[in-house]
Amino acid sequence: MRNPWAQTGNYRTSYAQDTTIFFNYREILSVGLLLVALCLLPLFLERSQVLVLNFILIYAIAVLGLNITTGYAGLISVGQAAFMGVGAYTVALSAPSLPFWLTIPLGGLVAALAGFLVGIPSLRVKHLYLALATLAFQEIFVWVVGRSPALAQGSAIPVEMRNFLGLEITFRNHNYFWYYVILFVLVVLVVAWRNLLRGKYGRALIAVRDNDRAADAMGMDPGRTKLFAFALGAFYGGVAGGLLAYMQRAVVVEEFTLVRSVALLAMAIVGGLGTVVGSILGPAFIEFLRLGVERLSEWMKANPFIQSITPAGVDVASALLPLSFGLVIVLFLMFEPRGLYNWWRLVRSYFRNWPFRY
Amino acid sequence: MDLAQNLISGVAVGCIYALAALGFVLIYKSSRVINFANGQLIAIGAFLAYALAVWVGLPVLLAMLLAMLLTAGLGFLVERFFLRRLVGQPIISVIMVTIGLASVLDGLMYLTPFGSGNFTFPQFLPPGGLNLGGVSISYPQLLAIGFTVVFLLIFGWFFQRSILGIAMRAVADDQMASMSLGVSVEKVFALAWAVAGLAAASAGIVVGAVSGLNQDGLIAIGLAVFPAVILGGLDSVPGAVVGGIVIGILQSLSTAYLDGLLAQVGLVGGGSQYAVPFVVLLIMLWFKPHGLFGTEEIERV
Repeated sequence: MRNPWAQTGNYRTSYAQDTTIFFNYREILSVGLLLVALCLLPLFLERSQVLVLNFILIYAIAVLGLNITTGYAGLISVGQAAFMGVGAYTVALSAPSLPFWLTIPLGGLVAALAGFLVGIPSLRVKHLYLALATLAFQEIFVWVVGRSPALAQGSAIPVEMRNFLGLEITFRNHNYFWYYVILFVLVVLVVAWRNLLRGKYGRALIAVRDNDRAADAMGMDPGRTKLFAFALGAFYGGVAGGLLAYMQRAVVVEEFTLVRSVALLAMAIVGGLGTVVGSILGPAFIEFLRLGVERLSEWMKANPFIQSITPAGVDVASALLPLSFGLVIVLFLMFEPRGLYNWWRLVRSYFRNWPFRY
Repeated sequence: MDLAQNLISGVAVGCIYALAALGFVLIYKSSRVINFANGQLIAIGAFLAYALAVWVGLPVLLAMLLAMLLTAGLGFLVERFFLRRLVGQPIISVIMVTIGLASVLDGLMYLTPFGSGNFTFPQFLPPGGLNLGGVSISYPQLLAIGFTVVFLLIFGWFFQRSILGIAMRAVADDQMASMSLGVSVEKVFALAWAVAGLAAASAGIVVGAVSGLNQDGLIAIGLAVFPAVILGGLDSVPGAVVGGIVIGILQSLSTAYLDGLLAQVGLVGGGSQYAVPFVVLLIMLWFKPHGLFGTEEIERV
């Protein structure tokens, strides 16, 4: 008789069982406990710490989208930040007239439309060309925003939301309020992500990624499957961008440049492509790395010895960030291509099998 | 006359793109890797030439030659230490490694004084230029065109006549078959990266001679190479040259004519030369994804 609390082997005997989200009660319990912990977490944190947490969760949403495009469909996207930007600017333009629970999905939908247009070549060419289409979209987006007086030419557009159902949102509780909104959106999107990708569509996507000719022969349409994945990834990016706009109370184009797209790609790789856990671990790792590097470069600026050996006109802070992001991408791809998710898996299986080795 | 003048400067800029695109196409042809670090190789080549000429004090031409060789060495090392370890991994991770490398090289350049500010090569060409019936070509522009022609001739000879060049073409055509005939595929990959470094450095040096050096500008040239190669066809060397020159001309024409038109429809500030190549890229991918001269992939099960 199988113990519903412990996993002692693979008991899945049917397709329906294979697509279940939770394998046993313990997993349901641990996910529930994690959610409760995440809800209580801000009570113990200061405003600035909640802000860091907010950034991590917003990037987690964008990385989830990237994980559909890059992780599941196998299409490299160097334009996820631009899709975030599309969502953010949609929110900025519609926020004065619509409530936030409409503007954010609207931002996602507009971004999905943009993703659909950019992804059209996937109907005809193999995946690698698409990286260049996303690059083109990224560059065109930043250029158009920077040239449009209607979008303040890329400088800050304020996004105001003062109260919600009678709750006044002030400087004090702003970060806390948005923490819960972001967490709610993240949970909804994670559930949607899992549900979509464990079913027929997700399996089609994997089949197309692994061998598109075989998938074609089995009746799937590789082009349409990839195109939909692309639009869906952009939708996630747009939602993340909309949340970012509200959380920062402004939209600036510098948030949505190629550098940010590469950072998002780094988050996806570091976390582990195609996994939910990785989509949260990756942004957390990169955000803490960024904070660490910023602190390091501040220390270097204050240190007289390091100041004396740096040549004039060198800004250490602007050098260390791309250097560390790039190194993280390269090293993870070379030595741990499955990302932090793999470490998480190893730790989990260690505890599951304890006191035995395996 | 304005039009002719714009065409000439467009061709000169396009020649730079053609040079930079050459290395990119070589890597793509031999290993199917899209090299996102091309702009960084261009910038490093140009800055090495500047450093050797101004800080070390070598004669300008010698400095240029040395910089090209050093950048070729850098390309070789990149292949040897990063890409060769990834043989057998999916191509997508190799491409992402080049994105990571681009970021690393960016950071390394920011650590040097080249990260910010503008630099100009010491004057080694006479000022002014030729005047052909009202259209003037400056000597740096002539240098760009001449350099490209010379390079293309050398490359043409290399691929048609030399053993290594023929081996590279063989690998590009069919990796498995050339392996079984005793061609060292690893050597060919390394050589492709070295030659790409050489070509990128030469492009950077010409930029330095024409318009001065600036990191962002040089990396922007690396990005403009993508539209050029998609236009010409990713795996076609003549396509890269044609694509580069067409993009150069389009950029020069859009600065002259399109900026004013865009201002009337509400896109102020000009600079359409930065966006037009990418619009071309998207349009090409929509309607003719294999470019003007690229080979369409025909798949057999």
